[in-house]
Amino acid sequence: MYEFSTLGWLKHVIFHPVEGFEDLRWKKKGSLKLSFLIVFLLFVAMVVNRQLKGFAFNTAYVKVFNVVPLIVQSIVYFFVWVIGNWAVCTLFDGEGTLKNICIYSAYALVPYIIGVYVSVFISNFLILDEAIWVNFIYLLGLGWSVVLMIQAMKAVHQYSFTKTIVSIIGTLIAMLLILFLAVLLLSLFQQVYVFVYSIYTEIAYRVRG
Amino acid sequence: MVSKLKKCFIGIVAAVTAAGSFAATAFADEPYETYSYDMWQDTIPSQAGYRVERTVTGLDMGLSSLSDPESPFFISEKESPYLNTARDMFFDDVSETFWVVDSGNNRLLQLDKDLKLIGCIKTIEGSSVSTFNNPQGIFTSTDDKGVTTIYLADADNNRGLKLEKTSPTSAKVILELTKPETEAYKAEAFTPSKVIADKEGNIYLISTSVNSGALRYDSAGTFRGFFGANRVEQTAAVVARKVWRMFASEAQLEAMVSSVPTEFHNFDIDEDGFVFTVTESANASTDAVKKLNPAGYNIWDNAVGNSYEFGDFAWSAKEYSAKSTKLTDVVIGEGGIINLLDYETGRVFQYDKDANLLFIFGAKSTPSEQEGSFTAPNAVETYGTNIYVLDGTKNDITVFTETVFGKYVHQASELYVQGKYVEAKPIWEEVMRRDGGYTLAHIALGKAALNEDRYADAMEYFETAYDQENYDKAFEYYRDDFLRDHFQAIVITLVVLIVLIIVLVKLRQKGKIKSIGEYIKASKEKKAAKEENE
Repeated sequence: MYEFSTLGWLKHVIFHPVEGFEDLRWKKKGSLKLSFLIVFLLFVAMVVNRQLKGFAFNTAYVKVFNVVPLIVQSIVYFFVWVIGNWAVCTLFDGEGTLKNICIYSAYALVPYIIGVYVSVFISNFLILDEAIWVNFIYLLGLGWSVVLMIQAMKAVHQYSFTKTIVSIIGTLIAMLLILFLAVLLLSLFQQVYVFVYSIYTEIAYRVRG
Repeated sequence: MVSKLKKCFIGIVAAVTAAGSFAATAFADEPYETYSYDMWQDTIPSQAGYRVERTVTGLDMGLSSLSDPESPFFISEKESPYLNTARDMFFDDVSETFWVVDSGNNRLLQLDKDLKLIGCIKTIEGSSVSTFNNPQGIFTSTDDKGVTTIYLADADNNRGLKLEKTSPTSAKVILELTKPETEAYKAEAFTPSKVIADKEGNIYLISTSVNSGALRYDSAGTFRGFFGANRVEQTAAVVARKVWRMFASEAQLEAMVSSVPTEFHNFDIDEDGFVFTVTESANASTDAVKKLNPAGYNIWDNAVGNSYEFGDFAWSAKEYSAKSTKLTDVVIGEGGIINLLDYETGRVFQYDKDANLLFIFGAKSTPSEQEGSFTAPNAVETYGTNIYVLDGTKNDITVFTETVFGKYVHQASELYVQGKYVEAKPIWEEVMRRDGGYTLAHIALGKAALNEDRYADAMEYFETAYDQENYDKAFEYYRDDFLRDHFQAIVITLVVLIVLIIVLVKLRQKGKIKSIGEYIKASKEKKAAKEENE
């Protein structure tokens, strides 16, 4: 049993939150390419949510559009999550490989992404009095994804439920640390750059005499 | 998405060119740039609604006649022909005269419409103290018989006065209001700084540093309690204190500073008996400007879900100069137009009856004094279409007159606040021709379009102004219209789609067609089989 195509597997895990990821793991399925596509679609969903939401619903500051925060909030956060989770769970006897964590996490995000697209779409036809529908679909997608994410982490590492929750909290802390270090590193490198550049200008002035 | 991006791009280009042309055509007359706020509370350059006409000093008013023995206004040879630290100014609608409180010289000046001296009160009859001592606030009313009653806050004599003007140079005391002898009045000092009176003859006094509201006296001069106190602004310090209070011992509680509201600094009363108050403490957000009904209830209460905003927004004002707003005076002009004077920046903020921003003008004198800039702006008044600002350090009155643009805006706004959107339409269009970035014009034209059932146009206007609530209203009607017009088409499409889906599902169940996944799988298998064969 369980002979699905790649997309068939995706459908299977989404609609079988309890057993889906276990099956996926058992059958050693899941496509890395598809997971990258999903992450890219997550980024697109962020952009769409900011730019194409119904006028009355859009609270974004539309005068300027900066894509960098959106990239950070989708793609960067995702990979930091994957790396953080891998780093934490390797220490806690997790069985997931980096590749599997990436695939399972991405699969778990699909309901949220679909929720965003659908809520953006219908927000163009609804008025503010009916905002509850927009919010409902968005929150439905979000909640579903959260459930799937817990199940995905549980399956990929073969954890108990409690251990999964602890590992997720640990992952969030690890993410904070990684991002903090990244910012630190960036600013340090900037200083190194400034230092090197000032030496260069100094030498350039001397050479010119 | 493309059209949205395109719109964005066009918007930016328009904004840049508008800013460019604004800079190029700006007159050097006024020492400030006129601007207004958009829906994001960002500053945008705007056409000037007012221009400086002239400044009037004591000499221009004819105050030299006060020391001229031949003049009917003669007081003494040494009487100063200049203003000195004038603190307040009031325009009497009935007699059409200005009253200026010349605090430093302890006298009241009555000026005509052209700001020429027509009376000066230096001494009063009927009181043991017959002179003023640093008077700070004035309010007058004139009855049908032409008798002028003057209400005065005589600060350093610690009294409020109700006077009746008997001649251009004299007045007699009707009431002398002193410190209320009740427990409700907790402050030690009693230094009245501002005064107003309503039509029933109730007198309201603001006493400096009393934060329980204005003191209300009835027409007989009896203290009747406080009126319209401000609330405590919920700053971080106040919240922290509240939390500490839960844990503190009684001794600690006693030592603690209590959270008190800031007192309002000035007020004005309109024709309908509403009292408008302004709070001078810097960047006050709670109760900065209030509209009180006769019961003392604030109609403009942001705490109940409204969003009335006055003065500069601290983060946006930085573009022009980083200063906090300290509203020092308020005056209600014709048609309920509200003018607020900011002591810190010297700006006058003008709003319509519903608190929509109309104009911002005026500046502080830094570094040099120019016409239209102020050092210590103390009072603002309106007469007709003019705005008068009294400066207590430069000792002059600056007269602002309406520009043509200002005239159009005022005409349009008068109709607009009455709800006559369609009647106001041609005037707003004229306003738009002169300043396409004027937010209120877009909203008003949108409302006019809404009233004329042109919903799509209305949506476009509201989108330009970024007024989401009104856009939503227009969109609701637009959608209803659309559904009604295309009801048949929509129903037919829906039915066809449903039938199609049912047919497809049935066919799949019978195995006549395959799902996409199965199809791909089958084709892959075919390919694999082919490769194997080869």
